[in-house]
Amino acid sequence: MLIEAHSLRKSFLIPSEQRRTIREHVLGALRRRSFERIHVLDGVDLELRAGETLGIMGRNGSGKTTLLKILCGIYRPDSGDLRVRASITPLLELGIGWNPDLDAVDNVLLMGTIMGMSLAEARRAVGEILDFAQVERFANLELKHYSSGMAARLAYAVAFRAVREVLVIDEIFAVGDVGFKARCEARYLELAAAGHTTLLVSHDPRTIESFCPRALLLDAGHVVLEGSGAEVAEAYVELARRASAA
Amino acid sequence: MAGALWTLVRTDFKVRYHGTAMGFVWAMLKPLAMFIVLMSVFTFVFPSKPDYALNLVLGLFLYDYFQEATKTGLVSLHSKGYLIGRSRFPRWILVVASTANPLVVVATASAAILACLAFAGRMPAPLPLALYLLYVLCFSLIVVGFSLASSVLFVRYRDLNQVWEVVVQAGLFVAPIIYPIDVLPERFHRLVYLWPPSSVIEFSRSVLIEGVPPSLRAHLLLGAATAASLAAGILIYRRLGPSVPEHL
Repeated sequence: MLIEAHSLRKSFLIPSEQRRTIREHVLGALRRRSFERIHVLDGVDLELRAGETLGIMGRNGSGKTTLLKILCGIYRPDSGDLRVRASITPLLELGIGWNPDLDAVDNVLLMGTIMGMSLAEARRAVGEILDFAQVERFANLELKHYSSGMAARLAYAVAFRAVREVLVIDEIFAVGDVGFKARCEARYLELAAAGHTTLLVSHDPRTIESFCPRALLLDAGHVVLEGSGAEVAEAYVELARRASAA
Repeated sequence: MAGALWTLVRTDFKVRYHGTAMGFVWAMLKPLAMFIVLMSVFTFVFPSKPDYALNLVLGLFLYDYFQEATKTGLVSLHSKGYLIGRSRFPRWILVVASTANPLVVVATASAAILACLAFAGRMPAPLPLALYLLYVLCFSLIVVGFSLASSVLFVRYRDLNQVWEVVVQAGLFVAPIIYPIDVLPERFHRLVYLWPPSSVIEFSRSVLIEGVPPSLRAHLLLGAATAASLAAGILIYRRLGPSVPEHL
């Protein structure tokens, strides 16, 4: 088992008045603030086995991104037991993660080394990454001049190359044209065939059905269903339909 | 991690001087030009006590390092927030990397001062030189300690950089940079030395310009101040660091 999570809980305190500066704290010292606790994850259990692809579905605000961030070590859970026995390469929040003042080569080196590649390995992989993202012609162009699609393609390319054991993807194949999506799918299948493990979050029932033998449905911070990709995709569609009808 | 640290330092350097024709060369020329201007002004235009110009230049460059490094260290986690959500990696390398670039500038300035001393036939012996390097190392560790603490506080208090700017501006006149410490009554010396740059600047002048190493007690006090700053920084960082992504 590469990842075991039991009874994960995470909540955020939302103040009635945001105070983000010393000035606001000093001037508001005599005014009482109330706090509302928002429970984003409320006792989530999850197990990820070596070599499998686990899908996660859920409506907006169901806690998917918070769960991924906890599994990736970016957020700390309030309580619960989390055991991670593998190196995780996350691909979250597309569109951010680049330094706009650096060109693609430097950004790839920066992101690759941050994601765990050695500098030599990252240097060797630059050409392959730019080629995968189809941005070789713009290798020396600063990222601020890239379109959001080009930047997202580059993010996929780095993560696909840097992955060690577990790849965590929020909305796979959500970017690029048909050709790029096909390359992503092909690369994903290569990784799966090589024994890599994937945690895949998507709103697309077809993606979960096609790629995930097992999946979870999250709603209001709870796992409401665990089953095959097809079962979870169907339940998600039904949940979304009921929510929009209400 | 070493690869990430080096890439951060290198790309920070690149971004910092981006837009200038010869960014890298300019980075080296800027402190040298300042050195030449200050030395010329206080040697030829306003001739003063012997060594006043050298003392002033050394003090200003060391203080400039402190000012620049603490300011960039303070905002380091916030300005590199785009990396924090990308992977699980030791985030303290963002803080350490941010303090490295000002060190390159102080290294250039130090080389210029040493060249000037060598030209005047007063090249410091190996021991004073080693002591100077030790003081710069202590200074860097003090800066890192401060930056570790301030970087995690800045994501909670977004005007902390403005407060710190006022403090370091005032600190320029607390540290004995433009005035010799002897002009102050003895009883105030201890207060002046509570401001970390004061001791590093005074000790550096002692070994490089006067050729007189400070006492063992003074060295022990500097070591203790360095250890205390680093320990406090690590403690605050470990306490508040894990929740930084939630505040970005």
